[in-house]
Amino acid sequence: MQRIDAFRAIAPLIAADDLVTTSIGATWDDWWNLKPADNTFFTGVLGSVTSTALGLAVSLPHRRIVAFESDGSMLMNTGILCTLGAERPPNLTVLVFDNGIYENIGGPPTLTSRNTDLARMADGAGCLNCETVRDPETLAARFAAMLDDGEMGYLVARIEPGKHPWAWEDRKPTDGIEDKYRFLRYVERLEGVVIHPGAPQN
Amino acid sequence: MSGDTVPEYARLFVEGLKEADVGVVAALPESLLASVYRLCAADNAIRYIQVSNEGDMPGICAGTYLAGKRALMIMENSGIRQCCEPVARLAFQHALPMVMAMSYRGEWGEQNWWGHNHAQTMAPILEALRIPHRLVTEPDEIKPAIKRAFKHADGSNWPVALVFSGNCVERPAYAAD
Repeated sequence: MQRIDAFRAIAPLIAADDLVTTSIGATWDDWWNLKPADNTFFTGVLGSVTSTALGLAVSLPHRRIVAFESDGSMLMNTGILCTLGAERPPNLTVLVFDNGIYENIGGPPTLTSRNTDLARMADGAGCLNCETVRDPETLAARFAAMLDDGEMGYLVARIEPGKHPWAWEDRKPTDGIEDKYRFLRYVERLEGVVIHPGAPQN
Repeated sequence: MSGDTVPEYARLFVEGLKEADVGVVAALPESLLASVYRLCAADNAIRYIQVSNEGDMPGICAGTYLAGKRALMIMENSGIRQCCEPVARLAFQHALPMVMAMSYRGEWGEQNWWGHNHAQTMAPILEALRIPHRLVTEPDEIKPAIKRAFKHADGSNWPVALVFSGNCVERPAYAAD
């Protein structure tokens, strides 16, 4: 199972009114082509994907929030697992695509290729429903269950290295500013709120 | 000070949060703002999220902002070193507003040798990140400072910082004169 196989397995489970954060790298291009709407904040920070999702989750408890993590991003800040383990937001599901390498920069190994097991770390930090899966069918079944079980979930998908060869015109074309505004305006419409007024107030 | 006593600065701080409609507080507790952390943790109107590393807090604040709510991150000024990278990325890449409050460890007259490096690095890091910052030293400054901090952050799409010292901390970090 490569990342694109994993994404294709779970993409139909993400509804347009779910809100998503993603790790950086090739994940962006995959999800750009599969996302159902502008419901994704393409988080440009390794180590802050889950914490951004946590902020969404506690602020919008009526909505399903998903963090698409990577092993490199999780390893950048494993302390967030302890915060998650303390807060246990029931509407948050974290899905880690763990390929054991820093693929976008040429493939040096991450430490999950040695002795680190992220699901066991999350479990030890107090997170709920921490599991590792290795095939698309099990991934889809467990992810679907975690989305709707009323508890937080932490699912690690062990994947093989390999980037889907998206054509240049199909790669994510937006920068971080446009990503923010697309997501922000989408949340405004979804929630019926004004987050950032478009014009000066006086 | 007994455990039941609420210092004036802390009472005004939390009242200021509510008046500014701040619903989420992310914090790594330390001594200078001890009563603020205690009050926030005990307040049902505030979702208090304690972290183990200041680097968790910018993401929590960004997610809260993108949900249409207001969050404040609180830490000692040493914490700006830990959260420098996520603050930088969320500001420079995404132009996300963010409000941080920090205690001024290493203020003029600091008697603890280990506190001075916090002061030595605070302003240079904030300035390197182009984060406007204001010193809050008297209780009557607290509420307007919080209110304006959110307006400034929202208006500029950029982080701002409030630095608490003087009569706005548990007791001044410097030795009694």
